[in-house]
Amino acid sequence: MPEQLKQLGSTEHVPVDEPIIGVVPQGTPLLELRSVCKRYGSFAALDNVNFFIGKSEVVGLLGDNGAGKSTLVRMMSGINRPTSGGIFVDGKAATLNSRTESEAAGIETIYQDIALVDSMSITRNIFMGRELANRFGFMDHKRMEEEAIEILGGAVQISGIDNPRKEVGFLSGGQKQAVAIARAVYFKRNILLLDEPTSALSVRETEHLLGYVRDLKKEGTSSVLVTHNLYHAFMVCDRFVVMSHGTKVFEAAKQDTTIEEVTDHVIRT
Amino acid sequence: MSLSQSDHIRKAVAVYEARPFATKIADWIRDRPEGGIAVMFVFVQLACIIAGLLFPESFRYLLQANITVTLKSIAPLGLMALGVGVLMIAGEYDLSVGAQYSFLSIVAASICNSLGGDIQADHPSALAPFIGLFAALGIGALIGCMNAAITLKFNIPSFITTLGAMLLWKGATLLYHGTTSQRFKPSEPFATIFGGELSVIHASIIWFAIFAVLFYFLLQHHRLGNHFYAVGGNRSAAIAIGINPNRTKTIAFALAGFMAAFSGVVAATRVGSIQPGGGLGMELQAIAACVIGGVALTGGRGSILGIVLGTALVFTIQDVLLLLRAPGFYFDMFVGVLIVIAVIMNTAVRRTKS
Repeated sequence: MPEQLKQLGSTEHVPVDEPIIGVVPQGTPLLELRSVCKRYGSFAALDNVNFFIGKSEVVGLLGDNGAGKSTLVRMMSGINRPTSGGIFVDGKAATLNSRTESEAAGIETIYQDIALVDSMSITRNIFMGRELANRFGFMDHKRMEEEAIEILGGAVQISGIDNPRKEVGFLSGGQKQAVAIARAVYFKRNILLLDEPTSALSVRETEHLLGYVRDLKKEGTSSVLVTHNLYHAFMVCDRFVVMSHGTKVFEAAKQDTTIEEVTDHVIRT
Repeated sequence: MSLSQSDHIRKAVAVYEARPFATKIADWIRDRPEGGIAVMFVFVQLACIIAGLLFPESFRYLLQANITVTLKSIAPLGLMALGVGVLMIAGEYDLSVGAQYSFLSIVAASICNSLGGDIQADHPSALAPFIGLFAALGIGALIGCMNAAITLKFNIPSFITTLGAMLLWKGATLLYHGTTSQRFKPSEPFATIFGGELSVIHASIIWFAIFAVLFYFLLQHHRLGNHFYAVGGNRSAAIAIGINPNRTKTIAFALAGFMAAFSGVVAATRVGSIQPGGGLGMELQAIAACVIGGVALTGGRGSILGIVLGTALVFTIQDVLLLLRAPGFYFDMFVGVLIVIAVIMNTAVRRTKS
């Protein structure tokens, strides 16, 4: 298996002393994880995983349930600390031990479990933790609402949301997801992590989101798309990483592989 | 992001803003957690006023003396409920506020008296009562921080931490002071600032109003208030978005302790003496006032107006029962029923909306 994987990457860049499964970064990646492990007691949620996000690319992170995809995403967004391994932001060693640090690295995440507060309005959810406030900490409700209207109309055309003061608890699952996406898109800078963002979206909303991810790439923002839908992944991703039981089992650029091959690796491993 | 994409939302917001006044009121009642209780409050007040006009002899609701007494008695519970309510919005409880109320008012009184702040001392110190008050407020906030530290450090329910704290401070009060009552007749200007009267308006109700407004601005207009709602409403979402839940909750605990201390000192100033067991059961009354006012037990939902109305409604019921010369236990029974009705109403409103 590892031999086959090595062939798929551009082997000429592999350093002799450090075997890397899969593709080798071209130039300095925006974010690189080297040999990261995450253990919960004796259980290894991530075992020696190398992962990077280059400039202006969309990476598809694939794998069955429990493969460690969400753990990896949570690590990159500063919620889970790695047990061991190195993290490099723009080629410089860094830590992502808190949301503040990942925000500083320009990383924004759309979480699988959405991360919205049901009892708060859409506007308050969008600006949660990043309220527009004066220097005494008092919020500028008017400006936040105006921005929220812009955001809601912009990133994802969200079906049926016409009042930014509405409580999130009264939105449908898809609308909630759309709000979470709109929020992340608004605050993103370098990297957007999307953890199963389309699970509750309608077909139209999904198309819109995938189109948006492509637009972001043109503007220079990279994305990581975690999904079970290989068709979606093939529509937008430049590179695929397949994980299984906490390790990376396959990695290839889009032009070097086929949907059948990727599917095969997802279901077989 | 082009402007045209957001135009339909802007239009909808404009339409929403231009609703007729009656619709706005109806929507407010349906949408806000305190909407139901506001209706009930207005209804009860109207009923009482009409009854007071119809039977001025037997039901003396509109008598100045009655209004004065009711307004006087609201503040201590209301001040405590503000702190408790904010803590509940942040998703935690404090059952020890009643014990803190007694303990800290006795601490304030004994500091004041030992520094010669008693009004009947030879040369009463004007500063002493203030020193006592600030000491009590500081210790109150500190006790709150302690509750927070234990709850958050060991990740146990605050219900348990503060149940323990309640017993601890109840015992500490008796250890520190004994079972006798503590005299508290502070010197001027303290006595006027916290216990003066302007016709029917007692100083304590003014303090309640001031703190209600302060807490309103904190909750609705300060980013910290937003964090209280976020942490109480969905802790993991708050963490995911970069809010430090422990810091936020610690501040809420400290506020609850601070308000318990303030409420204790204000009540003591009015009464002139402190019973060591005086605050017992107040923590539950404060929680009851908050719940009646639409504060969710699960956190993340509630408002200052609701807490104020909840407190006022509790005292209106008490007042009506007193005027009808009903025995004291009726009060508990009525409040008990009211709590259940209020929660049913809030839940029902929420269910029909979604």
